[in-house]
Amino acid sequence: MKKIRNEFADTMFEIAESDKDLVVMVGDISHGILQDFNKKYPGRYYNIGICEPTIVNMAAGLSKVNLNPVVHTIAPFITERAYEQIKLDFGYQKLPINIVSVGGSFDYAQLGCSHHCYTDVSLICHLKRGTVTIPGSAEEFNILFKQSYKNGLINYYRIPDNPHGIEIKKDQIKFGKGICIKPGNDVTIVTTGTLLKNAVIASEKLSKEGISAEILYYHTIKPFDKELLQKSLSKTNNLVCVEELSAHDGLFNLCLRNSFNLSGIKYCQMAVEDFIHGYGTYDELCAKAGLSSEDIYNNTLNLINK
Amino acid sequence: MKKINSDLRIKIAEMVKRSGEGHIPSSYSIVDIINYLYENILKYDIKNIESEDRDYFILSKGHGCGALYVVLNKFGFLSEKDILDYSTSKGILGGHPDMTIVPGAEASTGSLGHGFPTAMGLALGLRIKNKDNRVFALMGDGECHEGTIWESANVGANLELGNLCGIVDWNKSASQLMPLDKLNEKWKAFGWEVHEVDGHSNSDLKKCFSNLKFNKTGKPKVIIAHTTKGKGVSFAEGHGPWHHKVPSDIEMIELIKELSI
Repeated sequence: MKKIRNEFADTMFEIAESDKDLVVMVGDISHGILQDFNKKYPGRYYNIGICEPTIVNMAAGLSKVNLNPVVHTIAPFITERAYEQIKLDFGYQKLPINIVSVGGSFDYAQLGCSHHCYTDVSLICHLKRGTVTIPGSAEEFNILFKQSYKNGLINYYRIPDNPHGIEIKKDQIKFGKGICIKPGNDVTIVTTGTLLKNAVIASEKLSKEGISAEILYYHTIKPFDKELLQKSLSKTNNLVCVEELSAHDGLFNLCLRNSFNLSGIKYCQMAVEDFIHGYGTYDELCAKAGLSSEDIYNNTLNLINK
Repeated sequence: MKKINSDLRIKIAEMVKRSGEGHIPSSYSIVDIINYLYENILKYDIKNIESEDRDYFILSKGHGCGALYVVLNKFGFLSEKDILDYSTSKGILGGHPDMTIVPGAEASTGSLGHGFPTAMGLALGLRIKNKDNRVFALMGDGECHEGTIWESANVGANLELGNLCGIVDWNKSASQLMPLDKLNEKWKAFGWEVHEVDGHSNSDLKKCFSNLKFNKTGKPKVIIAHTTKGKGVSFAEGHGPWHHKVPSDIEMIELIKELSI
């Protein structure tokens, strides 16, 4: 399965041919895989250094002369550390930018909490002109980036380290639109990113218990596809939201805000409450955070039997 | 020259007095430099201020915007009404500039340490587009406490942004809390072409700026401008309560009297 980060490099290479204004600046990440781009498009690739706020500031300068800046590095450093730059230089000044991160949530599972990031999505969502995309496959990245990167907004693309591995038809992938991965009648499981895999595994187990789960997959968090959620909840009246984002302001929050007009809905939030201390694989940290397929299965059963 | 800049200083004080908001001493230390740049150095077309061929001036120490506003007014970017409506809901000017509504303001500064790296991005962007425009960014010595200034000092030298000129308003503001001495040597050590100038002397400014050589690739330049915070009004010079103070009626009379000599 192609790594989404490799697709990022390939997509930049592909777009740069027709978009002479595309400029990529990185903070010493993905330098190796961007060398083809660097060689073919000299002067349009910069490994600026390990100074994320300055990289974002600089992108504002590029934007002011009508270039299309893409900045790329590790999620906590480019969003949380450089948030004031994103907020002021692009939010306040109404300039466009494309931010592509790796290492969201606990993707750097062996490196510890300094490299974890649970609030990036929420931070960008706070900006009116912010958009948030979490492409869970290489194909999704290519399609969604091309559909959105020149929209004049503050676009945040969060690249998961582990693709979800679920096959999705190309024509279903549309910026700002969620996807119904599997129809069902008893419960709606909403998820994003790599966790789609766990949601699908849990739903298969649930079906053996006679529970029909509908899975809604949101590769675009903002703009949020309200219609898809409402349609599903009107049918199931049960929502389980599974995300590797902060419990205090993430996908569950969006689900609540976009369904409060519906009555009789039962909700279950599965999100990150605090730092996930320790080391291991992505799946091991998922289990530690209570986001494994087994957790989804158990929480869904509990919700339905409430 | 002295007379004109006294007029600019009085105008700044009047804006602050009318509205009850502003940083007079921080504006007085830079008003001569900004006036000199707009009068003699910066390339712009007042009939087309968004022209792609213009030079860029970014006031990174946004709280000194009183100086920028009166100069933009003097050279036709802003109207008298804009100045009169400063810091009110009727106007477009406030205690820090908002580039989305202020003609001629190239960045919405205020939070220190943003304007200078943005100027660096502009310089890089212009080079990518093979343009000859020059970029100037004026920062405070207090602002040089910010990490992004020194990140930029590294990056600007590494990228050899020969079309970029930083100006440090060395009004010794920083000396009251964390002194920044040997600024000249610091910038040199980072690989910048360093010049020193008396920021209140027209002849010194002329000598310095007219000799600068700009190019797309080369050493970036920084001007260390020796200035006096509150320059021109004895009781506002230096530090302390005048940093963000509104003059009383009596102080206003005294201020105008001193500047009118």
